[in-house]
Amino acid sequence: MSVAQGRWTGVALDHQIQPASSNPVVLNGQALAVWRGEDGPVRVWEDRCPHRGMRLSFGFVRGNTLRCIYHGWAYGADGQCAEIPAHPALAPPKTICANSYPAETRYGIVWTTLGDGASGPPDLGPDEGWEGVRSLFVAASAEAALTALARFDFGAGATTRMLAGDIVEVSFGPELRMLVVVQAMDDERAALHAAAKGARATEERAALAKRLERLRADIEQA
Amino acid sequence: MTVTTDPVALNEWVPCAWHGQIAIGAALDTMIFGQDIRVERTGDQDYRVTTFGGDSPRELPVQTRYTCVFTTLGDDPRALPEIPEFDEADRRITGCGRVGVNTSPYRIVENFLDMAHFSFIHTDILGAADQTEVLSYRTEHRKDVDEIWAIDCTFYQPAASKAAAGGQLTKYLYRVMSPFSVMLYKNVATDPSRNDAICVFIQPRRETECLAYMPMAIVDEQSTIADIIDFQQSIFLQDRVILENQRPALLPLDPTYELPTRADASSIAYRRWLKAMNIRFGILEKQAA
Repeated sequence: MSVAQGRWTGVALDHQIQPASSNPVVLNGQALAVWRGEDGPVRVWEDRCPHRGMRLSFGFVRGNTLRCIYHGWAYGADGQCAEIPAHPALAPPKTICANSYPAETRYGIVWTTLGDGASGPPDLGPDEGWEGVRSLFVAASAEAALTALARFDFGAGATTRMLAGDIVEVSFGPELRMLVVVQAMDDERAALHAAAKGARATEERAALAKRLERLRADIEQA
Repeated sequence: MTVTTDPVALNEWVPCAWHGQIAIGAALDTMIFGQDIRVERTGDQDYRVTTFGGDSPRELPVQTRYTCVFTTLGDDPRALPEIPEFDEADRRITGCGRVGVNTSPYRIVENFLDMAHFSFIHTDILGAADQTEVLSYRTEHRKDVDEIWAIDCTFYQPAASKAAAGGQLTKYLYRVMSPFSVMLYKNVATDPSRNDAICVFIQPRRETECLAYMPMAIVDEQSTIADIIDFQQSIFLQDRVILENQRPALLPLDPTYELPTRADASSIAYRRWLKAMNIRFGILEKQAA
């Protein structure tokens, strides 16, 4: 994989990870369960129950625990197994723990890293005022998606600027900015997550989403 | 993949069709252990199985039992198990066709052995959401027949079978006859002295691509065969969603890779048994640390 293992990548829009839901995400070939309790922050775990390997993205949330759908084993926010329904009186051993990755929400986007997370997600200024536009999934490598994104014509007055290896900022003047983050799923698939900020962000959201759909067509035709 | 070279896997009988699937005079192309085979039905009870593709074609041994057509690529295969219930005159004997499942054969066997998932995957049928406990049971390696058994198993079931009129505490006996076949005996709702016999015989096409056959010998005077098959297939399709979403699909035998609890005693015994026989087909190779 070309994306450095230590780098933080956007893997979802914050508002798309609903309360009490678990969602499948693939990052650099690694299957992840991105879930949120009934309240509180988003968590990113390996998509595999330590018991019998069932994908935790099929799991269900009760309170702030994620339960595996196969046998109902409950995992707390720290990943520790808290309950095994087959043995209600048993305190689960500490060794039974879901494998978790660092997770943080910033700019309306959920970020994670397959590394140790020491560096934190990229700092692109204040976090306030960003709202998710949409996510797109494309049948192309992350490199191809980035190349097409950097060249894409977002319309009159739009300027596109590379902020980091996989983040692009599109500026539509002082009242509207959009971030687009490219997530490598595997060698042939990528996801793009876009968030916008500015006085016109809410009213322009649908129009921006339409342009992103044209971008997807561009990427897949390249 | 190419044809497996694992002598342990090769020396097992596996199903390759169900009796009645192929019209007399017709043939079916399928695969076992990565080897293309052709199953021809030459008469009412007669089949001929040959390899094709790759090396020069050879004819394989064949036998028809328990509603299935079995064959083997091995020179010295383990015998098919004896299941006397299939010879009892008043039993309803049926297969359930075959169901494709994209995972390793061992995941299918383990799911069949597992009572702890009843309340979650077969809710209101084989288990109740508020009665999830798996009481302790025993496992045995019966060395005379080289089979793994789980005995003294009990589980509360809201609708244990097509014939069940209400909830019951079901008693189970589980029996693993080979790496690719497993069965259970469960007490009959209408007659406490008898057990329904339900089998799963697995045809491994490739390491993570299987066809599952479910021959049954059931004590049930009321239900139609179609109803009995429908019940069993509904249950199995609930399991298939799970089976195709376990990661990895290959079975890890390292006991620290997947962490069992007491309810998994039968799975633990099965994995130990597989490890001891040194089977490699469909098994996750040890990962470098």
